[in-house]
Amino acid sequence: MILRDLPALRNSPALRDRLAAEYALGTLRGGARRRFETWLRDDPALRDVVAGWQERLAALAELDLPTAPPARVWAAIERRLDPAAIPPRTPWWQFWHCDVARPWGVLAVGACAAWLVLALSKTMPDMAPQSRQIAALNDAQSHTALVVTADTARGRLDVRVAEEVHVPTDRTLQLWAITRTGKPRSLGILPGNRSTDLALDARAIDPDVALLAISLEPKSGSPDPTGPTGPVLYKGSWANL
Amino acid sequence: MIPHNDQDDQLYRLLAAVAMQDRQAFRTLYDATSAQLFGFALRVLHREELAEEAVRDAFVSIWHAAPGYQMHLAPPLTWMVTIVRNKAQHIRRRAHAGDGSLDVEAADGLADPSSGPSDPAQLSHDARALARCMETLASGQRQAIGMAYLHGLSHDEVAERLDLPVGTVKTWIRRGLVRLRDCLAQREAA
Repeated sequence: MILRDLPALRNSPALRDRLAAEYALGTLRGGARRRFETWLRDDPALRDVVAGWQERLAALAELDLPTAPPARVWAAIERRLDPAAIPPRTPWWQFWHCDVARPWGVLAVGACAAWLVLALSKTMPDMAPQSRQIAALNDAQSHTALVVTADTARGRLDVRVAEEVHVPTDRTLQLWAITRTGKPRSLGILPGNRSTDLALDARAIDPDVALLAISLEPKSGSPDPTGPTGPVLYKGSWANL
Repeated sequence: MIPHNDQDDQLYRLLAAVAMQDRQAFRTLYDATSAQLFGFALRVLHREELAEEAVRDAFVSIWHAAPGYQMHLAPPLTWMVTIVRNKAQHIRRRAHAGDGSLDVEAADGLADPSSGPSDPAQLSHDARALARCMETLASGQRQAIGMAYLHGLSHDEVAERLDLPVGTVKTWIRRGLVRLRDCLAQREAA
């Protein structure tokens, strides 16, 4: 049977497309489905073909009349989620949490980031100014979640994580330098997802680095050496101190 | 990892925040997508209380699965639709096997595309293209693909419902999918 024949699958784009379509549609069943899933594991190009079909078919869902669900649906979802997941409020004087800046919008948040940078620069008075670069990494709402300092004299990369950053237990934060051409380079994962001191990789502060970014990855880091697989949570760029 | 339109970009940012257990972002994500997903669940299940259950279960899963979401495998809405579809099909099988109260024969397959949102401007570019291309399929092809995708039916089950030989159904589905792909590629190129 043709489905058992792996070389035939590799060499026939038409067969690959047909099986990927039936897999996405759900009509590939039983042993054939299981064999197809084994091939998927080792064949990224085949995964892309499947993803293409999933995307085409998912648009079917949009052809239905949008209908707002009754309010009880959201209430039921909230009841099902762990109430402990709501982060506690932090005292106003813990400025590094940046919570204090939130009600006043972007301006205050910018000020908060500047405050962080200033506070950090004052805590490290023994360093030559030209040896330090600093980056505040913000979330989509411009809240600062991490501050990264590169110290070329000591050869260290200091990463401070705001306490309000709660990482799911089976995940890890990974730091990336993104070049101007958009190529990510891994700078390492944050042990315990807390503030840490990493060895400074020269590629982190190369002039072609446009951005630093943090992604959320499986425990041992992104399974793809060429870039993040999980969501990119925080971004920011270097500033010279 | 690069989102390819504004809606994807917005949903991607929300999912990233949800991955970090941001309840407010989760609510925004729900507000942005729940009407579309509930409309879809209604089509699969035909009964409001079952569709509510599907959307509720799906969002609980989305909350827990967001940290593992991978942009390069599926755009955000595709990923969410797939979760709702799995939940809805599970509920459908259960309802069908249990009290038999779910009328699986009613409105099987894909409805007339013109029964969708009255204003095509409400549809994304992708969905508009898909609606146009679905219209080019023979009605049997459209119905068989819809029954398989929406209701999770196998070739055999579709054949049984339509009272046709399995071989015919397989051919309809295969030809329908090829035609759909070619039509979408043509529109993309145009």
